[in-house]
Amino acid sequence: MEFLNNPEFGEKLVTLMAALALVIQIAMVGQRSLIMNIRMYGTQSFLLGAIAGAIAHFNGAWHIYIAAFLTITVKAILLPILLERLADRIGIRHEIEPILGTPVSIVISGALTFIAYIVGESFYHPGPGAALGRNTLAVAISIFLIGFFMMINRRKALTQVLALLSLENGVFLAAICLTYGMPLIVEVGVFFDVLVAALVLGILVYRIRENFESMDVSKMRRLRG
Amino acid sequence: MTLILLLLTPIAAAIASAIARTRRTMEVANLAASAAVFGLALLTAYQTLEAGSVSLWGGFLYADALSALVCLLTASVALVCSVYAVGYLREDERSGILDDDDGSAIGHFRKYYVLTPLFVSAMLLVALANNLGVMWVAIEATTLASVFLVTFYGKNTSLEAAWKYAIIGGVGLSMALFGTVLAYYSGHRVTGSDTLAGLNWSVLAGKAAQLDPTVMRLAFILALLGYGAKAGLAPMHTWKPDVYSEAPVPSAAILSSATMNCALYGLIRFYILTSRCLGPTFPGRLLLIFGMLSMGIAVPFVLVQRNFRRLLAYSSIDHAGIMAVALGIGGKLAPLALMLHMTYHTVAKPLLFMCAGNVQQHFKTDLFEKVKGGVMRVMPATGIVMLMAMLAIVGMPPFSLFQSEFLVVRAAFDSGHYLVTALFILFGTAIFAGVLLHVGDLALGSPAEPQEALALKPWREYSMLALAAVLVIIAFWLPAPLLELIRGAARVVTGS
Repeated sequence: MEFLNNPEFGEKLVTLMAALALVIQIAMVGQRSLIMNIRMYGTQSFLLGAIAGAIAHFNGAWHIYIAAFLTITVKAILLPILLERLADRIGIRHEIEPILGTPVSIVISGALTFIAYIVGESFYHPGPGAALGRNTLAVAISIFLIGFFMMINRRKALTQVLALLSLENGVFLAAICLTYGMPLIVEVGVFFDVLVAALVLGILVYRIRENFESMDVSKMRRLRG
Repeated sequence: MTLILLLLTPIAAAIASAIARTRRTMEVANLAASAAVFGLALLTAYQTLEAGSVSLWGGFLYADALSALVCLLTASVALVCSVYAVGYLREDERSGILDDDDGSAIGHFRKYYVLTPLFVSAMLLVALANNLGVMWVAIEATTLASVFLVTFYGKNTSLEAAWKYAIIGGVGLSMALFGTVLAYYSGHRVTGSDTLAGLNWSVLAGKAAQLDPTVMRLAFILALLGYGAKAGLAPMHTWKPDVYSEAPVPSAAILSSATMNCALYGLIRFYILTSRCLGPTFPGRLLLIFGMLSMGIAVPFVLVQRNFRRLLAYSSIDHAGIMAVALGIGGKLAPLALMLHMTYHTVAKPLLFMCAGNVQQHFKTDLFEKVKGGVMRVMPATGIVMLMAMLAIVGMPPFSLFQSEFLVVRAAFDSGHYLVTALFILFGTAIFAGVLLHVGDLALGSPAEPQEALALKPWREYSMLALAAVLVIIAFWLPAPLLELIRGAARVVTGS
């Protein structure tokens, strides 16, 4: 079991999981089933938690274990359960209806990934202690940009919430790989905010569904000028 | 000790309101807490004037003149609005629109009186947090605390406004979080192993010159987009008119002044770091572009506006633009103009919202065409104050916003930004014309049907008159300690 403490193995592991997280993000763009989308988000969050755990292990930084634990409990378990319940209650399963079709969306996601690599390379100069997660920054920026694109590309309220959450996953990944996590107090604050934001948005989604008979936010056009 | 009390007092009021059984208890708790917070903010301001800066818990909470000014402004708006809210919500209760299914309005009262102090506490934390990450958490918390104030009346339109607010705020702030992560990255290698201090403002500001310039460039762009969305800079401003016209008037008054200050405060902190790291040209130019764009976009919407509170929202976008321009110009004079403008705007804008609330509750509408005119005859006090505050907000002398806007123009001219100067004056004039056109009719015109002049309403109109008195007084005389605080805040920006 010596390879478990070998930093080279750690780097490969982190890169592999980050790549998987990006694949999931692109798959979310193409996926039309809402429930599958929620589960993919859960899986992606789980991978991020695992990345955080790996970095904590290889750097011996205990406070990242807490971030990893919080990611897995809050984002990979709690939020997906809450979101699935919400989807059940308002009775939708298969309606994401993006504005652009799947093939075009995937091509755009590819282009965004490319841009992210250029941006990431331009300012990332790993210091002596920052060997882990060298390729992860570009992945983080890609997840962020693709999340942004999903946000614009989707009409239904609940799917926009998912896009916002996955966008935030990108920021989390960047925080983990650039600086090995923010200071603990900030980390906890951010988790708390994300959880509350998801609840607030969930309540809003529920009430929009009740009042508008539809969750299509492009139909909310009363307020103008 | 003052700093922690400042944060905990509103939270105590929120807890008291959550368990209170009667409306009166909630009102008393909120009034008492707002008064205490105002006193504590004055004390903090006094301490920072004496000592330069105050910190607590090894620098976790930290107040310099800039934080103390923002705190003081937040606390004053919260105090005036908590007095106004008593009358405003009682009137709503009388008209029956707050009643739940069981015919009691207590649920709505509880919602307002629990969320508002939490909202205020989050805003105070924005100014007092030393750590840029904690500051981000607090700004996000202001959004979360105020979303359900926007849906207070539970109408379809208020849901729509709240959705826009939450989503634009959420996306914007996740960009700001990315910016904060990058600032941390550029800072944590300088400060070394001490991870918590790596994001501390008081540490970063001293070592700004050693930060990584490429990273700070990207961090500033993201922070500008994120906190700019929260402050309502164009093109991320679209939530503002909706939210201000749907939220209850006291909440809209707080959002339009204190919350905007907090978002700008975040931006100012990032500007200081970036300008010390990269020189003032790069962040300055970006701020000028966004600021001029906001001023320009407000013009057509002000000219064709039909709804009073949406008019105020566009005026607030205009003022966010003015403050961004003042920050972007840089130099010695412009930061002083910025701080003066922030102070004056924070007096004038809530005052206008209070007038709007009085008009709206009497005429049951926000639309100019339905009110027709004659506010001055029906509600003499509100009419006069509204006209006065409107003249103040468009920068008419002798009111104080004229002084600060004049200083901005002068600073722009002195530093050679001739295009900015010209556009600033052009947009200012257009907004002046648009606002006067609408409000002149509203206040001075003759009422649709002859009505008796109404008696003064204690909570709503006395709080309004008190704030109006402040507006008149600061036009001619600014208390010396306050001026010293404003100068101190400007010195935090210029760094001398």
